Amino acid sequence: MTNLAKALKAIKRSVWVYHLNSGSCNACDIEVLDALTPYFDVERFGVKLVGSPRHADVILLTGPVTRESLPKVIRAIKAMPRPRLILVLGSCGVGGGIWWDSYSTTGGFKKLEDVLRDSSVEVDRVVYVPGCPVRPEAIIYGLLLLLGVVEQKSKRVEVYASEG
Amino acid sequence: MEVSRLSVARILQIALKAGRVTRRYPREPPLLTPEFRGAIRVDPTKCWGCGACVNVCPPNALTLTSKDKTATLEYFVGRCIFCGMCAEVCPANAITITKEFELSSTSIEDLKSRVVHRLVRCSSCGEVIGTEAELRAVIKSSPISEEYMVLCSKCRKLKFGKAAMLGRGGSGD
Repeated sequence: MTNLAKALKAIKRSVWVYHLNSGSCNACDIEVLDALTPYFDVERFGVKLVGSPRHADVILLTGPVTRESLPKVIRAIKAMPRPRLILVLGSCGVGGGIWWDSYSTTGGFKKLEDVLRDSSVEVDRVVYVPGCPVRPEAIIYGLLLLLGVVEQKSKRVEVYASEG
Repeated sequence: MEVSRLSVARILQIALKAGRVTRRYPREPPLLTPEFRGAIRVDPTKCWGCGACVNVCPPNALTLTSKDKTATLEYFVGRCIFCGMCAEVCPANAITITKEFELSSTSIEDLKSRVVHRLVRCSSCGEVIGTEAELRAVIKSSPISEEYMVLCSKCRKLKFGKAAMLGRGGSGD
């Protein structure tokens, strides 16, 4: 097994997180604070907030990635050591939110992923957490899904309209 | 290094009085009030495919795309802001607001759900009249005769006009 695969397997429960705000309205950031402080306490799982992406296992990304913040977000993600795991929080991050077609945002993680691929920055695992703002319980659920502890509930559904 | 102004004994006193405030989330159920708005659910047996929810959705989480034979209503939870306006505006009461918030997913495609409607086309000019469900709902509230049911609004007016002219002694052209 390669070193990367071994490192990915070694990440089990106590991840160190770095909070990265790429231009959000701060509601998701307040909910992240709520999750990290004793009310919803992720520290019981061993999850710690670090001050630099160079020490982080997981980056909590909030906000539609605005044009101003795009180069800085790329620098922060590049500074993470492999394996890189990203938890994309909120409707802004997942699909651009209300600013999905705005002139000043790039529309969330989808565009950021393309830019990262062009600058050869690889991300190992991504989990999308919808919500506006994201409930702290949903952040905990998303983190546990990222670590492989729980099963995913959302599934793609396509039905034909029919008579009742 | 500055020493804290509170002694250990005082800190212990405050902490014991506050007790344990942490919510044991995965082990205990989350606090959900009756006004909480989670993801929506579109009932495929009630939806008309009219597009009222699409008009009102602020971040464009609900989209209606029409192709040759079908019109698809797609709900993208990832972009939803959980405002509840679609449920308020739906004329068929097909949208219900559930209490579901554990919506995380590893891929964006899993966050999309679709309701596909079959389109009905006019038998004389071929333009789209509406979806089958819309037609059913209209006929239920105000029944129309067989001949007019398969025509679009323009052709209906033409046909009615011709019938009226015939009735008044005209030529019917």
